[in-house]
Amino acid sequence: MNPPVRAKATSGVAYYLRVLRVVGAIDFKAKYTDAALGYVWSLVKPLAYFGVLWLVFAYLLRTANETEDFTLFLLIGILLFLFFIDAVSAMLPSIVEGGVTLRRLAFPPIMIPLSASVAIGITFCVNVLAFAVFAAIQRVEPRIEWLLVVPLLAELYLFTVGLGLLLSALYVRFRDIGQVWELAAQLLFFACAIFYPVGILPDWAQKVTFLNPFVQVMQDIRHVVLGGASGPNDLSAADVFSGAGGRLIPIAVVALVFVSALLFFRREGRYFAERL
Amino acid sequence: MAAAIEVAGVSKTFRIPHEQRTFLKEYFLHPFGRPSYERNEALKDVTFSVEAGEFFGVIGANGGGKSTLLRILAGIYVPDTGLVRVNGLLSPFIELGVGFDIELTARDNIRMNGTLAGLTKRQLEERFDDILAFSELERFVDQKLKNYSSGMLVRLAYSIAIQIPFDVLLLDEVLAVGDEAFQEKCFATFDRFKEEGKTVVFVSHALELMERFCDRCLLLQSGEVQVVGSPHEVADLYRERVLVS
Repeated sequence: MNPPVRAKATSGVAYYLRVLRVVGAIDFKAKYTDAALGYVWSLVKPLAYFGVLWLVFAYLLRTANETEDFTLFLLIGILLFLFFIDAVSAMLPSIVEGGVTLRRLAFPPIMIPLSASVAIGITFCVNVLAFAVFAAIQRVEPRIEWLLVVPLLAELYLFTVGLGLLLSALYVRFRDIGQVWELAAQLLFFACAIFYPVGILPDWAQKVTFLNPFVQVMQDIRHVVLGGASGPNDLSAADVFSGAGGRLIPIAVVALVFVSALLFFRREGRYFAERL
Repeated sequence: MAAAIEVAGVSKTFRIPHEQRTFLKEYFLHPFGRPSYERNEALKDVTFSVEAGEFFGVIGANGGGKSTLLRILAGIYVPDTGLVRVNGLLSPFIELGVGFDIELTARDNIRMNGTLAGLTKRQLEERFDDILAFSELERFVDQKLKNYSSGMLVRLAYSIAIQIPFDVLLLDEVLAVGDEAFQEKCFATFDRFKEEGKTVVFVSHALELMERFCDRCLLLQSGEVQVVGSPHEVADLYRERVLVS
């Protein structure tokens, strides 16, 4: 008897989307099942950051005066930053932690870190909803330009996933990567102009910080949502790198990180099962 | 008869570093020093084929390369040299089971493993109850797997593995920890697979089971194929070579 020729069940776009939906949702749920307050915790983290930073910068140091709408300015920065850091931090150990499954089932290993990023993405969406409610209370008028946020978030997601894939594959070989990233995440919090206007940095530092696509996306989203209300500090990559072409620099960084991550992950991925 | 599995000249060597070099420090301290490796030749020039519909046994001592062979058949490991062809869909049951996350409930593990293995949402819904019924774990479906006994885990894993649509089933020591009732249930499924013309690759230390179910057996010793033949012949040779010495 000839075995029937059938398509491989573990490939194709439908398969990828199905796995991301199912495993991503399970990951998200698992994070909160044992906690008494459950999903509330996904809101507590950004609010706690916001509370402390607002108190320090709007009330104690009054540097917030440099920005007209410091509340929303700060909230946008925190929400984006927590998504970026939490997603990379969840993806980084995911291959090593998912070793049990990788050694027993044949499926594209990329599904593990991608699912981890989806779980953090769900948290981000919950937070954005809370932000929308907050913005409505503040009587921020929604405008058509807000749609530009969608491609900007897509850019941030590509950058985040690229970095996460790269680090998760490196982590299989070098366990130091966990320490390196933990330190980097803390330093980035201070280096990314989240709670201060980027305009107070000297010129050279502005150039350096805008090489990070995260800063570009955050600044552009602040610009789109607040409509220039962050005042003289409403800077974009074009302003910092003097010229409209400057906008391409962080985008090129995203492309570089994402493509090299995919290539590296594909090369390493064949051997994850035996190295774990 | 067409071959369900063709394996030609497959070799696999693992390099086991004497010191684990997973920290960057070691690269900075000894940037040019080559770490010393122990080479473990898990498979050496393995060639055989399995006919469609065959119940094919693999016999060998621990560390003989059986699990490595199964992982290569399943596409989990990449062979260093040689060719592997599997015709049709494959479902693996390796090292006592599919990949469970013991922090998750049985329900979530069934959904996660089924989806990763390629089941659609509808297929999963259709088979979910069958998986639970076969494993007889309905009462524990919402418990985390860390509270399961090893026998329960194997029951669940086997139930999932046989519900994934397959033409070729890889079974690695499925009967090692289950109780007798479960063994009898497994035997019934073996008979059914034979009737349905499924191909099964069966790894076990229980020679009498090999003789009972297998059409042909392969003896794997130190990564090399010693002989492929009738189960009696191969089992006798194994007893002679390994058990006596």
